[in-house]
This record gives sequence, C-alpha cells and structure tokens, in this order.
Amino acid sequence: MLELTDLARRYGDVVALDGISFSVAPGQLYGFVGPNGAGKTTTMRIVLGVLAPDRGEVRWRGKRVDAATRSRFGYMPEERGLYPKMRVRAQLVYLARLHGAQPAEAAAAAGRWIDRLGLTERAGDRVETLSLGNQQRVQLAAALVHDPELLVLDEPFSGLDPVGVDVLSGVLSEYAATGVPVVFSSHQLELVERLCEAVAIVKDGRLVASGTVDELRGSDGRTVRVAVAGEDGDGWLAAVPAAETVSRGRDGSLLVALTDGATPEEVLDAARRAGTVTHFSLERPTLTDLFRKAVAT
Amino acid sequence: MRRSAVRLVARRELTERVRERSFLVGTCVSIAIIALVVVLPPLLGLDEQDRYTVGAVGEQAAKVAEAARAGAGAFDAEITVRRVEPDGADTELRDGELDAVLTDDVLRSREKPDDKLVGVLQAADREVRSGAALREAGLSEGEVRAALSPEPLRVSTIEPVDDRRDSLGGLAFFTILILYGQLLTYGFWVASGVVEEKASRVVEILLSTIRPRELLAGKVIGLGLLGLAQLLLVAAVGLLVATATGAVDVDSDLLIAVGLSLLWFVLGYAFFACAFACAGALVPRLEELQASATPLTLTIMISLFIAFAVNSDPEGTLAHVSAFIPFTAPMTLPPRILVGAAPWYEVVGGAVVTLAAAAALIPLAARIYSGAVLRTGSAVKLRDAWRARSAA
Repeated sequence: MLELTDLARRYGDVVALDGISFSVAPGQLYGFVGPNGAGKTTTMRIVLGVLAPDRGEVRWRGKRVDAATRSRFGYMPEERGLYPKMRVRAQLVYLARLHGAQPAEAAAAAGRWIDRLGLTERAGDRVETLSLGNQQRVQLAAALVHDPELLVLDEPFSGLDPVGVDVLSGVLSEYAATGVPVVFSSHQLELVERLCEAVAIVKDGRLVASGTVDELRGSDGRTVRVAVAGEDGDGWLAAVPAAETVSRGRDGSLLVALTDGATPEEVLDAARRAGTVTHFSLERPTLTDLFRKAVAT
Repeated sequence: MRRSAVRLVARRELTERVRERSFLVGTCVSIAIIALVVVLPPLLGLDEQDRYTVGAVGEQAAKVAEAARAGAGAFDAEITVRRVEPDGADTELRDGELDAVLTDDVLRSREKPDDKLVGVLQAADREVRSGAALREAGLSEGEVRAALSPEPLRVSTIEPVDDRRDSLGGLAFFTILILYGQLLTYGFWVASGVVEEKASRVVEILLSTIRPRELLAGKVIGLGLLGLAQLLLVAAVGLLVATATGAVDVDSDLLIAVGLSLLWFVLGYAFFACAFACAGALVPRLEELQASATPLTLTIMISLFIAFAVNSDPEGTLAHVSAFIPFTAPMTLPPRILVGAAPWYEVVGGAVVTLAAAAALIPLAARIYSGAVLRTGSAVKLRDAWRARSAA
C-alpha cells in the first residue's frame, strides 16, 4: 500500500501542492488526472524523492519512505531522458545496478526487457540513433529493469502510437496483476477509464475527487440522454428548471444533467409533450464528464 | 553517501569517456607532443656542438687554423681544417663547402661570419703571432708555452649552479602546459557531463535512485581517475623516450619530481572539478556552459601566466607567494619542484592550503549542484541554487 498524506509544496510564491492525500492498494492500476499545472508531476517527484515536500509524508507498506526504499521504485519522468550516447544494453544494466541489482541480475533483467520490448536488434546501438518509438521503449525498460515494487509513470502514454499504447497497457496491466501498484498520470481519460481501477482527480494542487472508477461514476448517475423527433433545440427543457443541457450529440440527442431534486420522469414528461421521444436512457457519466465537472467548479 | 553508488557512477564516467574518439585522439596528441619535445632537439641537431670547416691558404694560415682546431673545444665548437688553393676558395665558400677561408692576414667568408667562429680564429691568430714574436725575442719553447697558456680564470657564483636546471627548465615549461591543459580539459568534461545529464533529462531518473551528492562525487572521482591515468601514461612515455634518446638524465630525483607533479594534478583537479560541476549545473544547455564557466577558465588562464613568470624566476617573490594560493599553487609549484627550486615547507604548505580550499569548496559545490541540477528550464542564478531545497 502506498499512502500519501497531506503533501504540500511551494515553488517560491507559487503553491504547487496544497494538501494531497490518497492511497494506492497493491495490484491497483491507479490513474492520476488533472489539468496541466494541477500538481501531478510535483506529487510524483515527491513520491520518488526527487523533490522534498514542505509538508506531509509518503509511506510505503506502512513505513515512511527513505532512500533505500525508493531505490526499489520504478519511475518514468514526464521529461523523458536517457544518456544519448550510451548503448541500450549498457544503459539498462547501469540503471539496474544503480537501483541495487547485482551484476548478473542486472544483465539478465536488461536482456529480458530488451527481448520483451522488441529491442533485441538495437541492444548494441547508442540510444540517440534509435527512433522515437524505440527510445520510448527503452525508457519503459529503464523504469522496469530493476523489478520495482511500485511503478510511478508520468504521462507514459503521451507520444505513443496506437500499437505502442496497446503494448504499454498490456505491460502495465500485467505488472499490476503481480501485485505491484501502478500509478500513472494521463490526459487520455478514456484510456484511464478503461485501464484503471481507481483514480484521483487533482486541480490547483488539491484533490477534487478520488476513489474507484465505479464509485465515482455511480455517485453521480443523475444524467439522462434524450432525443425528441423533429426537435433540434432544447427549448422544451425549459419546462424543467432544475435540468440543464450538458452537451448535444451528433444525432440530435441531448445529454441532460439533473439538479435540485429534478427527476428523470419530469424530463421524460416534458419531452413527450414536445414530440415523439425516439431515445431515452439513464446515463452513467464517463470519466471525462466527471473530470469536466470536477475541474469546472 | 553510499560508496557503491559513487563507484558505479565513477565507473560509468570512466568507461564511457574512454570509448569516445575525442579521448583517444587527445591522448595520442599529448603523447605525440611529449615525444616530439623530447626527441626533436637532438634530431634537429639543436643541442649539438657547432661545427665549422675552415680552409687555410699558405703556411701561416695553416698554423693559425691548426691552433684554432686545437683550441675550439674551449668554445664548445669543433673545427675541421683543410688546405685550399687561393683560386678555388671563393667558389667553395659560395657553395657552403667552407665556412671561412684564412689567408695570411684575412678571414674571408660568404656572409657576416659566425661570432663564435670569429672568436676562435682571432684567438688562434693572436696565439700564433704572439708565439712567433716571443720566440724572436729569444724565449725558449717552454717559456713561450707558459706565457701563451696561463691558468684560465676560475668561475664562481653567489648562487649555487645546477647544470641540469637549463634542461629541466624546458621540462618544467611543458609540465606547466600539460597541467594547464589537463585541468582545463577535465574541468570542462565534468561541467559538460553535468550539462549533458540536465539537457538529456536523464538526471531525473538518476536522482530518483541516487542522491545529488553521490552523482557529483562519482562524476568527479571517475573523471579525475581518468585524468590521472592519462597523465601517468603521457609521463611514462615521455620518460621512456627521454631515456632511450638520452635527452634528459632520468634519475630518482626526476622521478620523484614527476610523481609530485602528478600529485599536484590531483590537488588542482579536486579544487577546480567541483567548481566546474556547479558551472554545469547552473545552465540547461551546452551552449550556455562557456559563459557560466568563464570565471573558472579565467582563473586557470591567470594561473598559467603566473606559472610562466614563476618558471623564468623560480626563486622570486611571485614564486613564494603563489605557492600558498590554492588556484595558482597546482601550476606554479610543480615546475619549481622539477628544477629543485621549491623548499619542502612551501610544497607541504601549498598542498595543505589547496586541499583545505578544496575541502571547503566541495560541500558548497554539492549544495549548489543539488539546488540547480533539477531545474532544467533555463539558467539558474547562483543565489537561487544556494537557497533551493533539494531532494531529501
């Protein structure tokens, strides 16, 4: 279990984090989302000890995290980086050794990841001569080569093509399945919704929502999609003051959010008065909907 | 600080740098220069005796030339004498076959003759004519000889004369140059290594598993060992070539002096390397390194000029003062040690001052480095780096 308690950090006068707390269970794929500048990278850097927090603490398996513990974490920073002139295999072995692996272990692990990520033929090449996609693979291998107990990845999917996204999703799910908590940040909310069991949404250095994806989606549930034949506008909805349009689908259907005690039945009645109802359903909000709502307030 | 982490970083710096072509080329050039410096002078005949061929026309001239040949050794010269006919003499002079032609009372040459040759021949001429005059006056052969070859003046100096100082002065000059090149090169390698890690952003991965101090220490130690090994190689080749060609007398004094010079590289490097690491940590890109390293480059340059001045006057005030300044001592003391002009208390005192300065600088450098190394966006002010709180 990874526990973050009340993390706070300022850069001069700028407040980057203002009391972030959440925890990640063993084997959980945990999505960390929020607008740019919300404090995601700062949080991850604090977990990895690259930055020190002004306040709060990070605990791993019940104990405060120290340098020895951190060397068993795996990290992929947002700003990708490897030694450009170092050869792929030598680089991975070196990083594994820095994390405390013995020479033989390090060599074996580097070989395993090189094969697994399809880099076998480029293992002896300098990193700078690799394509961007292959460099990303080496970067992933760098985070995994020492068999980490915890994985923290900052925007791991950015810049990947669809095949790369699939490979990475597979590797992360597989890793989580072995009991390793995997925390990653992303702006690709559909992907986060599909992959992650739990998420945290941050804004301006504060946590605005967190929990399992199911909980978060179920907690709302007060959205309906309705389509009325021949009606393009939402003028008829004025009959229900406590309902408002969230968005309009391409098929002319309306996504309607209910507030202040308005019920789906009232919306349905109003729709029927306006014309023939061709579609009516209770909608569970997507993570994107939740995100928009969370960061708008 | 974990030793294993420092050792890993140091080993990477060493092995990666050795594989670079620029390192290989640099080493070869250094060795080539030192070999040339040792081998070239004898090859070009620079250190050999002056040799002259003198033509003699007539008996009287032949006597003078013969006397000149006998007395040339005292002038550090060697003279070959040949009898020539008056007709062909000018042609041989013009062709360079002869350096000078003597007749009864004329010394003839193609251009203005060499001062040394003139000196030798005039002295010989004086000797022959004076001898003839004395004999005419009735002196016996023994009396003539006694009158013409009096006991030469003895030379004495206030300061003791070390015959080797001249040849060692040249060696000291190259020692200064090599130390200067090595300190500057390896200082820049430390700085550019730091910038490279910042620019490629690999530093964030590194710092997620090791501390800034460990990274700094490993880098400085690794490159320092490489610099020392390279110097050892260059020194060994230089000494071998010197022994083989007999250019310099290699004895235990010289070996100790060379060893001490190597030690001074270590001291100087310890002082400058950390400062260079800070210069690197403050800038985000290699292009900006020149600017942030300028104060350090200037300091080394000034030390170079002071070292040249000290080398030409190894006992002067500047020599004594600069021995106790941390950044000049590593370059002014080794040449003085080589020529035997540095008293032991200055060597020890200079080493203590330099080591103390390095020891004081290292924690400051570590703090500035830690505060600046993660700020990859733009150049960091020294003050901000000092105040920044870094990793736990």
